[in-house]
Amino acid sequence: MKNKILIIEDNENERLLYKEELEKEGYEVLTASSGKEGLSFIEKEKLDLIILDLRMPEMDGLEVLGKILSKRKNLPVIIYTSYSQYRNNFLSWAADAYIIKSSDMVELKNKIKEMLGS
Amino acid sequence: MNYKNVITFILAGGKGERLYPLTKDRAKPAVPFGGTYRIIDFSLSNAVNSGFKRIYILTQYKSFSLQRHIREGWNILSRELGEFIEVVPAQQRISEDWYLGTADAIFQNLYILEREKPEYVLILSGDHVYKMDYTKMLNFHIQNKADLTISVFEVNKEEASRFGVLKVDNEYRVIDFVEKPQIPFTLPENPSISLISMGIYIFNTEILVKRLIEDAKKIYSSHDFGKDVIPSMIKRDRMFAYRFIEEDKRESRYWRDIGTIEAYYNANMELLEINPILNLYDENWPIMTYKPQSPPAKIVFLGRNIEILNSLISDGCIISGSSIYNSVISPSVKIEKGSEIFDSIIMNNVYIGENCKIKRTIIDKNVIIPNNSVIGYNIEEDKKKFFVTETGIVVIPRESFV
Repeated sequence: MKNKILIIEDNENERLLYKEELEKEGYEVLTASSGKEGLSFIEKEKLDLIILDLRMPEMDGLEVLGKILSKRKNLPVIIYTSYSQYRNNFLSWAADAYIIKSSDMVELKNKIKEMLGS
Repeated sequence: MNYKNVITFILAGGKGERLYPLTKDRAKPAVPFGGTYRIIDFSLSNAVNSGFKRIYILTQYKSFSLQRHIREGWNILSRELGEFIEVVPAQQRISEDWYLGTADAIFQNLYILEREKPEYVLILSGDHVYKMDYTKMLNFHIQNKADLTISVFEVNKEEASRFGVLKVDNEYRVIDFVEKPQIPFTLPENPSISLISMGIYIFNTEILVKRLIEDAKKIYSSHDFGKDVIPSMIKRDRMFAYRFIEEDKRESRYWRDIGTIEAYYNANMELLEINPILNLYDENWPIMTYKPQSPPAKIVFLGRNIEILNSLISDGCIISGSSIYNSVISPSVKIEKGSEIFDSIIMNNVYIGENCKIKRTIIDKNVIIPNNSVIGYNIEEDKKKFFVTETGIVVIPRESFV
C-alpha cells in the first residue's frame, strides 16, 4: 500500500509541484491550502506524514503543528519552509525535521524516505 | 547573579479533590492557611524573597478566587524592572485539552518559554508550605552543570511510598526515580532514609523543551513530571538531587505537602506550638499575602474560666467572653459570650453565637453558627450534618447553613 502524505502549503504553484514530485516517488499525496483545511484531513484520512509550510495567512505553521500534535501525537511532521530563522523557535522543535526549501527537493525526498522507511 | 534569566512557573491547576470541601469553590493553592495566608503565598514568597521575580502561575479549575488573591495581594512587583506575577489560565493554545498533567501544563505554555527564552526554568507547586531560598538550589544546579536539579526532602523509608523517590549516587547524581514505589530506594549511606521529590525542579530550558516535546508525542503518557518526564531522563541527562536547606535554619526541616484535610489541619496546628517549626515572624524571609484593611483584633469580657491560649487571632476579630484554645482564627471572626473553641480552624468572617462548643472543626468562610451549637463532640451526630474525615475532623463548607 502506498504511503499517504499531506502537504499543507498556501502557495498553489508550490503545492502542485510538490504533489507531482512526490507522486513520482510513489506516494499518495493530498494537499491543503491552509492550516484549517489540513487539520480537517487529519481527522478524516489515515496519514503517514505531513509536510508543513510555516508562513501562511491565517493559522501559521507553528500553530498548525501544535494542533496536529494534539490530534495525532505520533504523526511525523516535516517543516518545509524558505526561512531558517524558525529553527530556534521552541515551537518548531515539535516537528520531526526542519528542511529549507530547495529547487531540486532532494533533501526533502531523502528525509521522507528515511522517515517512512521506504 | 542575574535572575532575569530564570522564569518561574507555579503549578496551581490541581483539583485538590482530597481537600474537599475546602476546594469546593476554590483551587487548592487558594485555600486559606494559618489565619491570614493562602497556601500559594508560601511558594510565591519564596520565589520573590529569592529574587526570582518573573513568575507565571498556571491555573485551570476554579481559578477565580486564586486570581483575585493574586491581583489584590501580589501587586507588589515592578513591570518597569522586568518583574511580574502573571496568572495564566489554560488557554488551549496548543492542545484542545485542559492540562493533562504537570508536564502538559508547561508544554501547553511553550510559547511563553519561546517568548522569554530564559536560561533556566524553575517549576514549583502551589500547594506546599515551606520556606526555601531557590538561589542556593540554582547555584548548586549551575555548579554541577546539571540539566535538571530536583529538590529533595529526607523522610523515613516507611513514609516514602506516597511520593516520588530518588536513587542517588555518592555525588547526589540521580540514577533512578520512581513515583510512589512499593519498595522505596534509600540513601547510599543510610538504609532507613529515603529521598523524596518536593516537586521543585530547575531545568536548563533547552533540555526541558526537548523532553516536554518528546513526552507530548507519547501516546501512553500521563504527561506528568514525576511519572513520565523524569523517568525518561534517567541515564540520558545530568540530573542532581539538591538537599533542601530551609530558611529557618533549624535542624528539623519543614516542608508540608497539603494534600489531605488531615495534612492541612496538622500543618495549621503546628503553627500554634510555642516554638513553631515554621516561623512566620522572620523579617528576613517574610511570608506575604493579601490583607484587607481591618481594625486590630479585640478581646473583651474576659472573666472567670475564660482563657485564650496557643491560638492565632487575626485582624478584625471580636472575641467577647469566649475561650479559645489551640485554634487558628482568621480575620473578621466574631465569637459571642460563653462559647468555647478547641483545636479548630475558623476562617474569615465566621460568626459564632453564644454558648457554642466547637472542637476539632474547620469552619470555612462566611458561616453563621447559631447559639448553643455543639460541633465536634459527637461524631455520629456531626456526620449527619457535616463532612467528617476518617480521623474525625469536622469540616463546614463556606456559606453553608448550620
